[in-house]
Amino acid sequence: MPSQPPLPPLLAPYVSNLPDSSLTLVSSILGATSNWLVLRFLHAALSSPSPNVAFGSDELQNGTKKKVVLVSFMRSYEFWRTEAKRLGLDLARLADKQQFAFIDGLSELFYAPQPTATSPSISPAGLGSSPRTTLPMRSPPGVVPGRSPQPAGPTVTGVRGNATSKQAEPGIAKKLHFSGRGLASLDALEKDISSVIEQQKSSMEDGDELLLIIDQPDLLLAATGPSMGIGATEMSEWITALQQHAHATVLTLATDAPLIHNASTSGGLATPIETEHAALVIGLAHRARSVMQLRTLDTGAAKDVSGVLRISRGGGLNVSEESLEEREALYFIQRDGGVKLFGRGES
Amino acid sequence: MSFRKRNIGLSPGVDRNAVPNATSQPAVPETTPGIRPSPDDGRPTTSTGTRSLDNLLAGHAGLPMGKILLVEENGTTDFAGALLRYYAAEGVIQEQKVHVVGVPEQWGRSLPGLIGSAESLDEKRSDRRKDDRMKIAWRYERLGEFGAVAGSRGAPTNPGEQDTAAKEAPAFCHAFDLTKRLTHPSITNMSFIPVMSSKESPFLAILKRLQTAITSSAANTIHRIVIPSLLNPTIYPPNASQPEHVLQFFHALKALMSAYNTRVTAMITVPLSLYPRSSGLVRWIELLSDGVIELCPFPHSADAMATSGAATSQEEPPQGMLKTHRLPVLHERGGGSDQNVGQDWAFVLSRRRFEIKPFSLPPAEGDTEAQEASAPGGMPKKSDLEF
Repeated sequence: MPSQPPLPPLLAPYVSNLPDSSLTLVSSILGATSNWLVLRFLHAALSSPSPNVAFGSDELQNGTKKKVVLVSFMRSYEFWRTEAKRLGLDLARLADKQQFAFIDGLSELFYAPQPTATSPSISPAGLGSSPRTTLPMRSPPGVVPGRSPQPAGPTVTGVRGNATSKQAEPGIAKKLHFSGRGLASLDALEKDISSVIEQQKSSMEDGDELLLIIDQPDLLLAATGPSMGIGATEMSEWITALQQHAHATVLTLATDAPLIHNASTSGGLATPIETEHAALVIGLAHRARSVMQLRTLDTGAAKDVSGVLRISRGGGLNVSEESLEEREALYFIQRDGGVKLFGRGES
Repeated sequence: MSFRKRNIGLSPGVDRNAVPNATSQPAVPETTPGIRPSPDDGRPTTSTGTRSLDNLLAGHAGLPMGKILLVEENGTTDFAGALLRYYAAEGVIQEQKVHVVGVPEQWGRSLPGLIGSAESLDEKRSDRRKDDRMKIAWRYERLGEFGAVAGSRGAPTNPGEQDTAAKEAPAFCHAFDLTKRLTHPSITNMSFIPVMSSKESPFLAILKRLQTAITSSAANTIHRIVIPSLLNPTIYPPNASQPEHVLQFFHALKALMSAYNTRVTAMITVPLSLYPRSSGLVRWIELLSDGVIELCPFPHSADAMATSGAATSQEEPPQGMLKTHRLPVLHERGGGSDQNVGQDWAFVLSRRRFEIKPFSLPPAEGDTEAQEASAPGGMPKKSDLEF
C-alpha cells in the first residue's frame, strides 16, 4: 500500500467528475511520461468512492457509476494491469464486471503476426488429434445415436475456445489493426473502438458515465502521415467522432519541443511529421477543457522531483459556466508507485 | 531418536558443504544463465555486456527483459558500436540467440574476445590499486554495484567456500578485449538479417524474420536483437527513413517485445549526426524506445583538456560525455527517484572495458598555479597560529 493516498488531494478535482462532453489533454515529453496520470484518471473513475469502504465493494451507493474504455497505442495491457494493481485497482476484475475495457493498439496495429504461429499450436493440435482418432473408434460401440455427436462436440468447442483465447487474451476487449490508407483505415479503427464503447454502454443505466481515455493517438499520425493520406485534420476529426460516443474524453499527447516548435521556427525546413503533429496538438488544445502539461524541471533533474505538472484552462472551457483553477505543482513518483504532489518550496 | 549417527564426530565440514550444494544444484538449471532478477523489483534482467552500463539502468543492474535500449552517438566515432559489440558478445557467451540486422557476417566475426567475468577483472584492478588507495570506509568503496555488497558480506566467514560458490554461479556480465576476437562454440548461432531495399517498407522483411525466429524457438530461448547504426544510408535504402516505415517498425518491435516480454531485449544505435535529436522523427524513435542514452564524444582537439579531467593521474581521461534521456521501467512509471538520474556522466573506452563514471570538472588550471604561487608566503605557519 502506498503511504500516500493513491490520488493526491491536490489532483483530485482535476481528474474526477469531468463534465459532460469535455476533452482533457494530458501532454508529456520524453523524460516526463504521462502513464502515472492516466492511472490517476482510472483510479478516480473506477475506485470505490470513499476510502473507508473496503476494497472490493463494487456498488457505489450514491453518485453515478462510471465505466472506462482505455485505448492504448504505446503500452501493453500487461503494463496497465500491473501498474494499476499498485494503486489497488484490479483491472481484470473490473473488465469482468464490464466496468473497464482495454483496447490494444500496440500489439497488432501495423504488423499482425500471421496465423502461421504453427509451432506453439503443434502441441495442442497433436494432443487434439490423438483423441480425435480414438473417438470415432469408440463411438460406434456407443450405440445411442443422440450421444455420438456429443463426444465430438467438446473437442470442437475446446479447439474453438483455444482459438478465441489466442485471438483475444483475457482482459483485452479488442486489438486494433491498421490497414489500407487514408480515411478508410481511420474509419475502420473508429468502428472497432466505438463497437467496444457501445458494448459497454449496453449494460449502462441512466446517469452512468463513460470515460474514454486514448493513450497517445498521435502515434497513429506520426507512423502514417500525409503520405498515407492521414493528416492533422483527419486525426482531429477522428477524435471528435470518438468523443461523441463518450461522456468525457482524456487524450495523452507528446509535446516534445522538436514536435511542436520545429513547425513554426524553421520556416520551410519542417518535415510533415512535425507540422502535422503541431497542428494536431495545438488544435486539440484549443478544443480541450483543460490541459495538463507534464515536463521535467527546467533547472535539471533532482532526486526528489520527477517533474512539473501544469494545469491550465484549454480553449474549450466554457468560462461563463464553470471555473477551473490554474495551477502548477511539482510531482514525485515514489518507488512504490505512489505520487506526491506539492507546490514549489513545499515538500 | 537422534538425527545423527552416534559414532560420527561432530566436526565434519564436509557435511555442511554438502547441504548448500545439494540445494543449489537443482536451482541452477532452472535459472537461465545470463538472466537474474532485478534487485529493484524482481523483474528478469540481462546484462548489456558492459558492467557500468548495467549499473546505470535505474537500479535494475541490467537491461530488463522486453525493453529496447537506444544508444545515440554524435560525431563520426563509433563508441556506440563498441557498446553494441559488447552487448552481442555477451549474448553469445550466455548462449542466447543473437539477431543482427543490416550488417554482414563480418561484423559477427569481429566481436571482442572474452577475458573473463566482469567481477574477476574488477578484482584484478582493485588488487593492483589496493596499495595506493586510502583505507577509509573500505566497505563502502563498491557500494551501489549490485552483487558486490552481498558478496563481501559472506566472504569473511569462509573464503574458500565463497570462491567455489563464485565459480559455480554463472557470471552475469563478462569483460571483453577489443583487440582480440571472440571464439565461442555458439558464435555460429548468430543470425544476420540483411536489409533489402524494396518498394514498400524495407523493415517488413526484417520484422517477419524476427517474428518467426522468436515464435519458432523453444520457450526458454532468450533473444537479443542488435541493430547497428539504424537508418545509416550505407546500410538502409532511402525510403527506410520515411516516418511511416521506421516508426511502424519501432511500434511493431515494441509490440514484439511486449508479447515476449521475458525473452527478448534489443539494443539499437542511431547516428545523431545524420539524424539530429532536434528532428521530429528521431524524437518519435526515442519516445518509442524504453531507454535512451546519448554519447557525446569530446572532439579530438579537446584531448589536452580531457587529460586534466582525470581526477588522479591513474584514472584514464574521459573520452566523452554520456547523457541519459530515458531509463527503462523508471520513466515508464513517471520518472524520478533514481540516484543516477540527472548526474553528469563521462565514459572511457579502453582496450578492455567501457567505463561510465560520474563526470567531474578538473580544478581550473589557473587556480593551481595561483595556489602554488601563494603557498610559500601566503600560508601561515603552524607556529604563527599557536598562542
